[in-house]
Amino acid sequence: MASRYDRAITVFSPDGHLFQVEYAQEAVKKGSTAVGIRGTDIVVLGVEKKSVAKLQDERTVRKICALDDHVCMAFAGLTADARVVINRARVECQSHKLTVEDPVTVEYITRFIATLKQKYTQSNGRRPFGISALIVGFDDDGIPRLYQTDPSGTYHAWKANAIGRSAKTVREFLEKNYTEDAIANDNEAIKLAIRALLEVVQSGGKNIELAIIRRNQPLKMFSAKEIELQVNEIEKEKEEAEKKKSKKTA
Amino acid sequence: MAATFFGEVVKTPCRAGTEDEEEEEEGRRETPEDREVRRQLARKREVRLLRRQTKTSLDVSLLEKYPCSKFIIAIGNNAVAFLSSFVMSSGVWEEVGCAKLWNEWCRTTDTTHLSPAEAFCVFYHLKSNPSVFGSCPKKSMQVTVLTCRHVTDYKTSEPTSSLRTPFLKALKTQSFRESPCCSLLEQPNIVHDLPAAVLGYCQVWKIPAVLYLCYTDVMKLDLITVEAFKPVLSSRSLKGLVKNIPQSTEILKKLMTTNEIQSNIYT
Repeated sequence: MASRYDRAITVFSPDGHLFQVEYAQEAVKKGSTAVGIRGTDIVVLGVEKKSVAKLQDERTVRKICALDDHVCMAFAGLTADARVVINRARVECQSHKLTVEDPVTVEYITRFIATLKQKYTQSNGRRPFGISALIVGFDDDGIPRLYQTDPSGTYHAWKANAIGRSAKTVREFLEKNYTEDAIANDNEAIKLAIRALLEVVQSGGKNIELAIIRRNQPLKMFSAKEIELQVNEIEKEKEEAEKKKSKKTA
Repeated sequence: MAATFFGEVVKTPCRAGTEDEEEEEEGRRETPEDREVRRQLARKREVRLLRRQTKTSLDVSLLEKYPCSKFIIAIGNNAVAFLSSFVMSSGVWEEVGCAKLWNEWCRTTDTTHLSPAEAFCVFYHLKSNPSVFGSCPKKSMQVTVLTCRHVTDYKTSEPTSSLRTPFLKALKTQSFRESPCCSLLEQPNIVHDLPAAVLGYCQVWKIPAVLYLCYTDVMKLDLITVEAFKPVLSSRSLKGLVKNIPQSTEILKKLMTTNEIQSNIYT
């Protein structure tokens, strides 16, 4: 019976489940969708913006955060847990730079975050972090990277992935549409991220936030106008594709 | 009986179960106050039928005025949103009455001013085709129930990560001859609460009824969950009732924005 083994984090169930970790993964699904795409010369992070209350300052409700000049991450799940993880990661990035005089590699900081999360699944009286993160960036060797972590403390490299609500739908879209052509150039990679989000975002381009990192360039957050332009281009392409289809069938 | 250290004799609890003596004592212990409290509680828990606008009570016999051919009941906020934006936005629906009830699980102790979010059921009939339900089951009536359930309640041998939520499952009574517009609910899944009661009643009284259960991972009002009910629009019971789908989608979006509860816990 699940209820007898899901109270304390340190207890395995008879069939080997750590229920608190699995429940933490459910908490991640309550956050809005985030998608990450690794292109040839660019990495893209797109998120579904949460609707902000009228009196709330929009700047303080952010899902995409820079960890260092060359690494940034998007998360889905509990806001407060994300803040703690991000702060720890940022301190680690600077500490590493000061100690070894080199910026962190994307894999190093991902491993740090994942190890932190795993510690909380094996500690007495603590619950796991209820967030999944998509970490993107460029290493010194110029290779783009995308990693995903989850509440259990596992991390994997991905070509494209999604987390949060409706992540499965977005992932299936990416599996069908992530091709060599789709990431041929930077603009195409950006459009792929937006198209993936439009599959599940409820009110179109207004609720999308996008960030990119290009090789040897800092993080760039897209403005609402730039996103609107991209969305309009995508809609035009869709219409043209549909016209072609109807001509063919006719 | 047992003797304590101090020499008193005390009555020990009997491990053989309650003795008759004890039951008599209990009956004697109930005071008139207890009875009054119990009577008041029973009065509070009565189901009341009334007209919302005039706040006058409604007689059940008035509701039996028209024969009922289609009875559609939506339970839960997503199912209600689907019905109000797709079905009720097409055509003019008149509110006939509402039923409200209170019990100890309600979060408020005020029984007179229950909000629609609490135990409340509003009955509407289509002005152009009055077919309000009647309390005596009519053989020609068809019942459709729409409701939602969290996907973690769904039992399956497949891994839950492979389930594509939200998805619809159907459960029907023996007399329902049509084929439902989605796959049937497999064993060992069961239906709970009001939808189960309605379906059980229909099965006993041989009324054709179908329940469309949407398994979702978002229990609060959510556009994708509500849109998961769309296949039901092709069923015979709802076919004639929905006219303008794009307009209904717009109404649904508006409903979402007005009902959005601001929460900063999850981002």
